Amino acid sequence: MYQVEASKALLKPRLWARQSSRLRVPRNVIMLGAVSLLTDVSSEMVATVLPMYLIFSLGASPLVFGAIDGTYRGAAALVQVVSGFTSDRWRRHKEVAGIGYGLSALGKVAMVTAGNTIGGVGAIVAVDRVGKGIRTAPRDALISLSSAKDKLATSFGVHRAMDSVGAMLGPLVAFGILFLAPARFDAVFVVSTLFAVLGLAVLILNVEARPQRAPSEGAPPRLRAALSLVKERSFAPLLIAAAGLSVASVSDALIYVGLQRTIDFDPAVFPLLYVMTAISFMALAIPVGQLADRVGKVPVLLAGQALLFLVYGVLLMSSVGYLALAVCLVALGGYFAATEGVMTALAGAVLPEELQASGIGILITVVSLGRLVSSLAFGALWFAIGLQSAVLIFAACLALALALSAPLLFRAQRLAVDG
Amino acid sequence: MDSRGGKITVALVVACVLLGGGYVVYAALGPSQTTTDASPTAGEASGVPVMVRAVDPAKPTLNGRVFVVEDGKVVRRLPDLACERVYYAAGRGICMGVAASGVDYDATVFDSESRKLNEITLLGLPSRARVSADGRYGAMTVFVNGDSYLSSPTAFSTRTTLLEMKNGEQLGQLEQFTVTKDGEPFDAVDFNFWGVTFSPTDSNTFYATLATGDHHYLVEGDIEARSLRVLRDGVECPSLSPDGRQIAFKSRIGEENRWHVHVLDVATLKDQPVAEQRSVDDQVEWLDDQTLVYSDGTNVYTVPADGSGEEQLLIKDATSPVRLEAGSGA
Repeated sequence: MYQVEASKALLKPRLWARQSSRLRVPRNVIMLGAVSLLTDVSSEMVATVLPMYLIFSLGASPLVFGAIDGTYRGAAALVQVVSGFTSDRWRRHKEVAGIGYGLSALGKVAMVTAGNTIGGVGAIVAVDRVGKGIRTAPRDALISLSSAKDKLATSFGVHRAMDSVGAMLGPLVAFGILFLAPARFDAVFVVSTLFAVLGLAVLILNVEARPQRAPSEGAPPRLRAALSLVKERSFAPLLIAAAGLSVASVSDALIYVGLQRTIDFDPAVFPLLYVMTAISFMALAIPVGQLADRVGKVPVLLAGQALLFLVYGVLLMSSVGYLALAVCLVALGGYFAATEGVMTALAGAVLPEELQASGIGILITVVSLGRLVSSLAFGALWFAIGLQSAVLIFAACLALALALSAPLLFRAQRLAVDG
Repeated sequence: MDSRGGKITVALVVACVLLGGGYVVYAALGPSQTTTDASPTAGEASGVPVMVRAVDPAKPTLNGRVFVVEDGKVVRRLPDLACERVYYAAGRGICMGVAASGVDYDATVFDSESRKLNEITLLGLPSRARVSADGRYGAMTVFVNGDSYLSSPTAFSTRTTLLEMKNGEQLGQLEQFTVTKDGEPFDAVDFNFWGVTFSPTDSNTFYATLATGDHHYLVEGDIEARSLRVLRDGVECPSLSPDGRQIAFKSRIGEENRWHVHVLDVATLKDQPVAEQRSVDDQVEWLDDQTLVYSDGTNVYTVPADGSGEEQLLIKDATSPVRLEAGSGA
């Protein structure tokens, strides 16, 4: 009996050690991944049933839903930079991220208790998005500070893969509950709250607040220092490249709308487009991260961006079969896997330790502004000259952005290694 | 990491699984309703039989049973049908509503004996349903829910699907048709289509609304050619009169989501309002070539098409009015 117990006790850490030595992912990153997974299950459960809940149970018109949907997306924008700098300044990344996760968890509790009016749901959704805005930059800074500089891309790949598992599971859990208990949205909200609370608990109980690369005690960074990151010689080229690339990339939402116009398939297949892209992303995020740590983040990032040419190519085809569609969706997932997380990893390598969250907050804001410009421009071009010409122009812009950003990114990477 | 944190986490996971599982079981055993057994009440007598879907005023989003009202009396309830939108013509009908699971929406294509010919899972909330007068084609519009994996490019969107009514199979979506305006190709990312009405004499021809930007265009469609042509602006939810000469439609009041019902002359494309002063959000139906019939969400009213008179309550606690041909067998 004693022996069995002992060998079990020995075996467990060894297996764990082997596993983690192969992937070489710090425990803190796994734990932050678990926090994101649980929180995403919680959020996506609510997001999945929200339209149906608003319309079926609260009798909202779809137009009201549109307005709430807008709040949903707009609320997080500027909060990122502020929360990033604040967490650097206080050296409290875990605590600031905790406030963000806590707000979202509170929002879920409020859905159970006060989500029975349309205005109430709107306010709760806005709070949830603010929570997301608050937590993202300090959380990414924690991932970065928990990892050695040459393993950053793997860490972000693991985190993003876990995050997307949560986003996939959320709708499944929600549908599962509604299948067992038809039209009982309260059950969905209760279970969603429990997932959010668990996520927060894993953060509080299992995430190390002072990881290996955490800056040593010294004078807290000043706002001036955070703001001057935008002209810092290694970070500025990265920001410019990120802005250019995001402007030249058509958003996935518009790609799906475009595919719907060009492909003649059963409309019931349509929701599967997102699922296939998400599966491709989930499967590729970790290997692509490892590849980026081995051969360099910049080449992988540029290759990932170039995958968009495949997607644009499919949009230009006059008739698209299922094979071309599959290629397009796998390429789209690969593009996501090789860009957002790898870019954040590159920023983590370039940024000074004491300003990680500030810099990442600025990067996220720049990229989301770039995406907004891209969506508006693509919509306007589509209207003016048609889908195919718009795609051609964006392909040309992407080629230009790649050519211009490659030297900038390589310079940023070189400076990161030297510094 | 310290094992205390790990142990508390495990304990919390167990507690959450028990709590969550328990609540789901409790909810599964509790009441869950997707269909109401409410009945409509007939008001004024009219010479034309009308099919409607019943509404429970306290719970208007539940599926309602389908009834036929004639001469101021509720004459029949169709067996096995319950939905939010119904339409019927020449032995073929569409019934769109919440699926039995309560998770999503579906549409039933049925025949004159209320037998199910096909069941179609809808991509969103039922909005409009129509069947051509010869029973050959059907059209369904739904509001599409934003999918959780994507941010929708527009505030809300609609999707309109055409059906072959003999077997209920889908013929495609209007979003896939080519559009021309003033003879030129016309396309934009925010195209939304809704409110199909079929020509009473040639079911291959139909009219619908194309929304883009601030515009709501009346378009004329050709099913076989899979094409659409813009006719004029400011027309939502068109509905052709039985003689095909007039189109009743919703005319938007300012920027708000409020509408007056207008009637348009197909030959001249000129329109005038009817006497109904309240906002109406419905695809109007024609009782005959002189009379409109529509719902305000809870009751069914009639109003003269020529702008004279005033509205009259036809049926209480019902929506989705459908004119039936006398002796049509529905």
